[in-house]
Amino acid sequence: MRQAENTLFTIVMLIYFASMILYFVFIAIKKDRLAGAAALLQTVGLVLHSAAILLRGLAAGRLPLTNQYEFATCFAWGLCLVSLIFIRRFRFPMLGAFAAPVIFLIIGYAAMQSKEIHELMPALRSNWLGVHVSTAIIAYGAFGVSFVLSIIFLIRDRLRDSSFWDRHVPTHEKLDLISYRSVCLGLLFLTFTILTGAIWAERAWGSYWSWDPKETWSLVTWIVYAVYLHLRIRRGWRGKAAAVFAAVGFVCVIFTYIGVNTFLPGIHSYA
Amino acid sequence: MAKKIFKFISSMRFAICLLILLAICCALGSFVTQNQSFAWYAERYSERTAAWITALQLNDLYHSWWFLGISLFLCCNLLLCNIIRLPQLILRTREAGDPSGIGGAQVQAYAEHVDRPEELFQRLHMPKPRRTELDGQAALFSSAHRAGLWGAWVCHIGILLLIAGFTLGQATHQEYAVYGVAGQTRQIGDTQLFLTIDDFQIDLRRDDTVSQYTSQITVRDLSGKNALSRQASISVNHPATLFGYRFYQNSTGWAARVRVEKGDEALQDEVLCAGEYLPIEDLPDLVIFFHAFYPDLIMDPAGGPRTASGQLNNPGYLYSVYYQNQIVGMNVLTGDETITIDDYTVTFSEPQSYTVIQCKRDRFSFLALVGGLAAMLGLFLAFYLQPKRVWAVSEQTGGWSFHGACPKMGALFRDQFEEAVRAISE
Ligand code: HEM
Repeated sequence: MRQAENTLFTIVMLIYFASMILYFVFIAIKKDRLAGAAALLQTVGLVLHSAAILLRGLAAGRLPLTNQYEFATCFAWGLCLVSLIFIRRFRFPMLGAFAAPVIFLIIGYAAMQSKEIHELMPALRSNWLGVHVSTAIIAYGAFGVSFVLSIIFLIRDRLRDSSFWDRHVPTHEKLDLISYRSVCLGLLFLTFTILTGAIWAERAWGSYWSWDPKETWSLVTWIVYAVYLHLRIRRGWRGKAAAVFAAVGFVCVIFTYIGVNTFLPGIHSYA
Repeated sequence: MAKKIFKFISSMRFAICLLILLAICCALGSFVTQNQSFAWYAERYSERTAAWITALQLNDLYHSWWFLGISLFLCCNLLLCNIIRLPQLILRTREAGDPSGIGGAQVQAYAEHVDRPEELFQRLHMPKPRRTELDGQAALFSSAHRAGLWGAWVCHIGILLLIAGFTLGQATHQEYAVYGVAGQTRQIGDTQLFLTIDDFQIDLRRDDTVSQYTSQITVRDLSGKNALSRQASISVNHPATLFGYRFYQNSTGWAARVRVEKGDEALQDEVLCAGEYLPIEDLPDLVIFFHAFYPDLIMDPAGGPRTASGQLNNPGYLYSVYYQNQIVGMNVLTGDETITIDDYTVTFSEPQSYTVIQCKRDRFSFLALVGGLAAMLGLFLAFYLQPKRVWAVSEQTGGWSFHGACPKMGALFRDQFEEAVRAISE
C-alpha cells in the first residue's frame, strides 16, 4: 500500500505539472479550449490525489493529517479543490493558470518531506484531530486562492494584449469581490480551525490557549484577514490595499505552517 | 473635544489600528522566548537587550499591562461601535423587508415580453415574492437573508465575550499539579480536596512507543460536613470533571522506593519521584536528591548516563548528596549498589512510573466558548447570508421592470441578475 501511495503521489505530481504547462501554453498561444483541458487535467489530478491520500490513511490506519508531509500534500489538495470550485463558480479559467504554479510548489515541498509513517503520541490521538486539521486544509486552500487572486489583481494593469486578457481576467471590481469570497471561506474555516484547536488543546494539554507559537501565528493570520475585511468596508480602500493585505495574509499562513516549525519550536512542533 | 475623542474611540479606523497593533504584538511575543529570567536573556542577547526586554515586559508579553491595555481598548471600541450601530441596524432590518422602504436599486432591467415574472425570483434563488403595489403599479417583491445584516454585529459580540471570558479566566483560574505513584494520596493545593491515585498505567505499543497514559483517581471533598468521594479514570485527551475541577492526565516520570537503614534498623522507607529531595531524619544537615532515573542505563563515555530503551533492563538512579546545602557527591547507582554514609545505608529500588495530574478550575472558559461560537455564527451570517432584495413592477407599457440590490456582491450580483432577466425574457 505504501508503494502504491508513493507511485500515485508521483503520478499526481506529474499531472499537476502537466496541467500547469497546459495553462502556460493556453496563455502563450491564446487558445481558449486549452484552459478547459488544463482544468480537466487538474480535476483528474485531484481525484487521483484524493486516492493517494486515502491510501496513506489506510496504510497508517489513521487520518493522514499529522506531519509536515501529510499536511503539505493535503494543503496542495485543498488549494486545488478550492481553486477548481472558484474556476467553475466564477467561470474564471485564468485563475487556474495562476494557481497551478502555487499548487505545484506546495506539492513539491511535500515531496521533499519525509514520508515515513510514525505512530501518534497520545496527545494526537483524538477525534478532534480530523476536524481541526481538515478545516485548516480548506482554510489554507481558500487563502491560497485569495493570494493568487490578489496577485492577478495587482498585475492586471500590466498585462499587455488587452483583448485576450480582458476576456479572461475579470475587472478589478470583480477580482476584488471574488477574492473577498475566498477570504470569507478561508476566514470562516480558520475560525473553525482555531476553535476546534482550542477545544482539543483543553482536553489534551489542559489549557485551551497557551500562546504557543503555532496558536499565536494562527491568531496573527486571523487578525490580518479581519483587518482586510474592515479595510474593504472603508471607501477608497477596496482594491489595491485590500489585495496587498490578502497577499500579506497568505504570507502569514505560510509562516504559520512552515516558519513556526522551523524558527519557533513549541508544543505544536510535530506538525 | 470630548465628542471628538469619543468618536475616534468608537471608530472603525481606531479598530483597524488596534487590530494591526495587536497582530504585531502577538508576532513579537512569538519571537522572544517567554517567561525566562533576566540572566537567560542576558546570555542569549546582551545585558542591554535583556534590560529592555524586562523593562518592556517582553518576557511575559501576553500578560503585560500594555498588551492588556490594547485588548481593553479593543473591547471598548467594539462595545461602543456595536451599541452605536444597534438602532440603525434594527431600522435597516425592518426596511429590508418592506417594499415601501426600498432604497435605490443596484441593477435595473426592463423586458417587454415576460410570461412569468416569478421565474426571475426562482432563478435568483429568492423566496417566493409577495404581491404588492409600488407607485400605483402592481408589483412583486422578495427579500432574502435579512439575518445576514446581523452577521458583523453577532461576530463582534462573540469576540467581546471571547476576550472577556479569556481575560477573566486568566485572572481567576486556579491550577494545581499533583503527582505520585499508585496508592498515594495528596492534598490538591490549598483546597479541601484530596486526590488518591488508585492506579496508573502506561500502554505501550509493540515498538515501545507510548499509546496512552491512564490514571484511576479518587477525589474526596472534605470541605462539607460529610466527606464526598468521586472516582474517575483520566487519560490524555480524556479529562474528567469532579467537584467543579477538571482533572487532566498531564505527564509522567520515574519514581523509586528509597530506604534509609542504620545497621539492620529501617529508619525511612519512602517513594521518591525523580526531582524530589529526601532529608535524612537522623542526620539533619544531609539531603539526598534524586535527579533522574534510567530504566536501561548505558554509560556514554562522552555524554554521561542515558537510557537505551524504555524497558527496565538495567535500572540506574542518578542521585546527589548535599551536606549543609553544599553538594558533596553525585553518582549513578546500578544493580545492588547503595549509598553509604557513616553507619547509614541508602538504597534505591522498585522503580515505577508516577503520574502527573493537572487540576484546574476556570469558571469563565464557558464564556469564551460561547463567544467563540457566536463569532463563528456571526461570520457565517455575514459571509453566507448576503441580504438581497428583488422586485418587479408591471409597467404601463405592458412590460416589466426588474430591480435588484445585493450590495455585498456588487458586480457579481449584477451579472447574475442580468443573466436571469435575459433568460426569462427570451
Ligand atoms: C477583533 C476583531 C474583529 C473581527 C474579527 C471583526 C469582524 C468583522 C466582520 C466579519 C465584519 C463583516 C465584514 C463583511 O461582511 O465583509 C465586520 C464588519 C464591521 N466591523 Fe468588525 N470585527 C472586529 C473588530 C471590529 C472593531 C473593534 C470594530 C470597531 C469599531 C469593528 C467595526 C466594524 C464595522 C463598523 C463593520 C461594518 C458592518 C457592516 O457593514 O454591517 N470591527 N467586522
